Amino acid sequence: MRTPRLRLTRVLAAGVAAGLVLAGCGGGSDDGSGDTPSSVSQADIDKAMQTPTELTFWSWVPNIDKEIALFQKKYPAIKVKLVNAGQGEPQYTKLRTALKAGSGAPDVVQIEFQYIPTFTITGDLLDLRPYGAEALKDQFVDWTWGQVTGADGQVWAIPQDTGPMGMLYRQDIFDKYGIKPPATWDEFAAAARTLHTADPNVYLTNLAGNQNGAWMGLLWQAGARPFKTDGDQITVSVNDEASKKLAGYWGGLAKEGVIATDADFTDQWFQGLNRGKYATWLTAAWGPVFLSSSAKDTSGKWRAAPLPQWTAGANEAGNWGGSTSAVVKATKNPIAAAKFAEFLNTDPESTMMFATEQFLFPATKSLLSNPAFTDQKPAFYGGQQVNQVFAGISDTVATDFQWPPFLDQTVNDWDETVGKSLADRTDTVAALDQWQERITTYAKNQGFTVK
Amino acid sequence: MTTERLPGKRSPLLTLAMLAFLVYFLLPLFWLVVASTKTTGELFSSFGLWFADDFSLPGNIRDVFAAENGVYGRWLLNTVVYAVVSAGGAALLAALGGYGFAKFRFRGNNALFGVVLGSIMVPSTALAIPTYLVFSKIGLVNTPWAIILPSLVNPFGLYLMRVYAEDAVPDGLIEAARIDGAGEFRIFWQVAMRLLAPGFVTVLLFTLVATWNNYFLPLIMLNNPSLYPVTVGLANWAAQASMGGGGSGGNVLPLVVTGSLLSIVPLVIAFLMLQRYWQSGLGAGGVKQ
Amino acid sequence: MSTVTAAVPRRRRVASRRAAAGYLFVAPFLVVFVAMLVVPLAYAGYLSLFREQLIGGTTFAGLDNYTRALTDDRLLGGVARVGAFFAIQVPIMLGLALFFALALDSGALWLSRVLRLGIFVPYAVPSVVAALMWGYLYGPDFGPIAQLFDKVGWDAPNLLGADLMLGSLANVVTWEFTGYNMIILYAALRAVPTELYEAAAVDGAGAWRIAWSIKIPALRPALMLTLIFSVIGSFQLFNEPQLLQRLAPNVIDSAYTPNLYAYSLAFTSQDVNYAAAVSFLLGIVIVAVSYTVQLAANRRRS
Repeated sequence: MRTPRLRLTRVLAAGVAAGLVLAGCGGGSDDGSGDTPSSVSQADIDKAMQTPTELTFWSWVPNIDKEIALFQKKYPAIKVKLVNAGQGEPQYTKLRTALKAGSGAPDVVQIEFQYIPTFTITGDLLDLRPYGAEALKDQFVDWTWGQVTGADGQVWAIPQDTGPMGMLYRQDIFDKYGIKPPATWDEFAAAARTLHTADPNVYLTNLAGNQNGAWMGLLWQAGARPFKTDGDQITVSVNDEASKKLAGYWGGLAKEGVIATDADFTDQWFQGLNRGKYATWLTAAWGPVFLSSSAKDTSGKWRAAPLPQWTAGANEAGNWGGSTSAVVKATKNPIAAAKFAEFLNTDPESTMMFATEQFLFPATKSLLSNPAFTDQKPAFYGGQQVNQVFAGISDTVATDFQWPPFLDQTVNDWDETVGKSLADRTDTVAALDQWQERITTYAKNQGFTVK
Repeated sequence: MTTERLPGKRSPLLTLAMLAFLVYFLLPLFWLVVASTKTTGELFSSFGLWFADDFSLPGNIRDVFAAENGVYGRWLLNTVVYAVVSAGGAALLAALGGYGFAKFRFRGNNALFGVVLGSIMVPSTALAIPTYLVFSKIGLVNTPWAIILPSLVNPFGLYLMRVYAEDAVPDGLIEAARIDGAGEFRIFWQVAMRLLAPGFVTVLLFTLVATWNNYFLPLIMLNNPSLYPVTVGLANWAAQASMGGGGSGGNVLPLVVTGSLLSIVPLVIAFLMLQRYWQSGLGAGGVKQ
Repeated sequence: MSTVTAAVPRRRRVASRRAAAGYLFVAPFLVVFVAMLVVPLAYAGYLSLFREQLIGGTTFAGLDNYTRALTDDRLLGGVARVGAFFAIQVPIMLGLALFFALALDSGALWLSRVLRLGIFVPYAVPSVVAALMWGYLYGPDFGPIAQLFDKVGWDAPNLLGADLMLGSLANVVTWEFTGYNMIILYAALRAVPTELYEAAAVDGAGAWRIAWSIKIPALRPALMLTLIFSVIGSFQLFNEPQLLQRLAPNVIDSAYTPNLYAYSLAFTSQDVNYAAAVSFLLGIVIVAVSYTVQLAANRRRS
């Protein structure tokens, strides 16, 4: 009996030893800041772009191979291998495990604005300044550049598309109940009551309890700046005055029962949009095209307007979604990868194609003022120049909004506190404190000094 | 063991009750068949448990195989390869090991068997993450081996084969073969395997199901959609159906539904065709303990 | 024994050669077992002793992760939830499986082959597909169940709501695995010698009496097997809640079941070390519950 057990222990010990070795390899990523990088010369760039290279690119944008083809036509030596590793969170999960494992990560990756700090805190993104990215600044809408720039001026990604928030509304329902598009949130609340009283099956809007993105956009508009990271110090104030104003407002409407709080992007929600259960959708600039393909039955009935304002006559907006191309620091071909990210999002043909083929809402100033884009009159919106509306909104998005360096955790915690309070129609203001508490605990556990 | 019992007095009441339960077990599958014949619009507008006016099944099947350059066919093929290789390997390892544990006395026999048996209780999802980390170091992540290798271990299969071998392979037979001068491995292949066949098929089938249904492991191991098994692919489509895919994904839902239907057909057929084997094989595991 | 005359040393040599053959037979399984199960498990155990922070990197933490887990309300809540799930779902599922097996074995059914296979078929359906199907059937506004209620004129219950979710999940699992358990029990019943029944029948015992006092006791080992598998299945619950989460994100949170929590800790919270500790503790809970179940059953027998 003795021998095999001993042998087993030895095997176990070997396993642990292997683990030690693995752990040794896995850790030790530097934080990427500090040293100011020196520029790469044009000669180096030319050389790299003529060397046969294969890049791996993760993106979920449909038919993005068309833009890739443009790049490969210009740089025939470089071959881009496209992988769709999932949209949003599933992709980030995969990316993170691949980064942690040290193999299988792409060279260039699609990342939404809000997730950039989550990947820079672990030192996984490449600062693009040495590859001439700073010179691109003026081409992009100001707030988008703010979103991709680090504390010390690093350029972590190139903006691709954006999601300034506005309001899509059902003209026919508004007309039927004599409602005018609300200009302030007070008017909006009054309209919500009027509408729901007039027809108990219809709600002025749906604020989903699983959609942190929309909430953050509304927070952004309300003037809250809940996160600020400075090295290992982090400020968390998701329950400050502006946040409480927002929570009191929406929590109140939810409790009254005059708005819906269904989970969005579910079958039930799609049916709600199709059947006129919701008279407005507070959404981002990517929303109009999305809606026209997923609520086909309601074509011609929708219109677009800016979000209602907290103070009459103000002109504030927030952003929800939109994404960038970032280069993974571990790439073996940083020059080619950086130039690919640049080309995709600055080449006039490529950016135009994003706007007209995939209907991404542009991040470049030139496209947003290009009549070919802004003068489109989709029939779904009764011929209204919807792009024009959202291009106008894009100019009003504040530039200084920051995201926490562990976004998936804060989103998850939001779902289970604030989001849940909306869905359950309980006290949303109190839920803010729980959210604050959970983020603070997490940040401390992760070694941050929380202010 | 497969002879039917003599029919006693048949009971209409009991039969009726059982038929009611049968409806419960088949209804979701009936829904799946019905739903596969519908378009996205009809999925929501028509009554769920009956056919709509149009019969879109052929079109849906064509769409499933045409979507994303035929990736669904690739997923099915991947699943078949993963499942067949894993199941074959797992059943063979279990048969060898079960026979070894049952028919040979060696030091540590019971202790080793006890360790293996105890491992049945290890949560498999808990293992997936460390396995991922280990695999990534040796470059197995994002390859078919990442799915196949972990599926080769089937402790319950080993248990079943041991119990089965104890009963089904008489010691006298082995002894007789030895006296005839046959080597141990020849005895195994030529004498024991034939008797072990029902147990072997049972382990084969159940590992096949486990691998076919595997979701979590491929979910974290694979990044490349052309390596996905059909479960992960379908879950991906289901997520896409709700994301809407920025304007292009308006018709993903019928793909999910029809793809689901197509994915279960091969397994159901395998079970129906091999029922004689697995029913008796499973019995052995439950009789002894 | 035909080898009475064989010399002792020779027999010993034969025995050791046989033992070597035995090792050779079990070696392939054990090698894969160690590589695919023991090594990752040991690695998980090793990981669970460390703490990796976004700020500060990796440090040795001793048993901190374990003490944290034991006071983690979210984990304990999840364990309590799967405990409740086990207490409700498993008796129903095994009760049904037992009833079906006895009914099939009684010979009192028409169409018994059709019934047996029909009830078993859901086992061949991947849990991904099962969850997608049931999720759709549960749909509050358009699902067939809601449509039926609507036709009758009643308010449909929200099967994806907080109150009913655990029941809805239990239904999916019951649907998937009743047939599987039924087949195990049925196969075991077929192995009970018929003479036992015949003798009882001659004594005038009815079908129910025979089922109760002969068949069920004979099924004890098979029932135990199904019960242990159910313990493992319940406490490891993952696929079904993970897939229904998309339909009811505000009902199924990231700590709904312990396994879901471990997954979320590893992939959302980037806390692989704590996730490993949670998985380890979950394994211990499963072993403990399985053991208790066996003890209780054995005590009742004696």
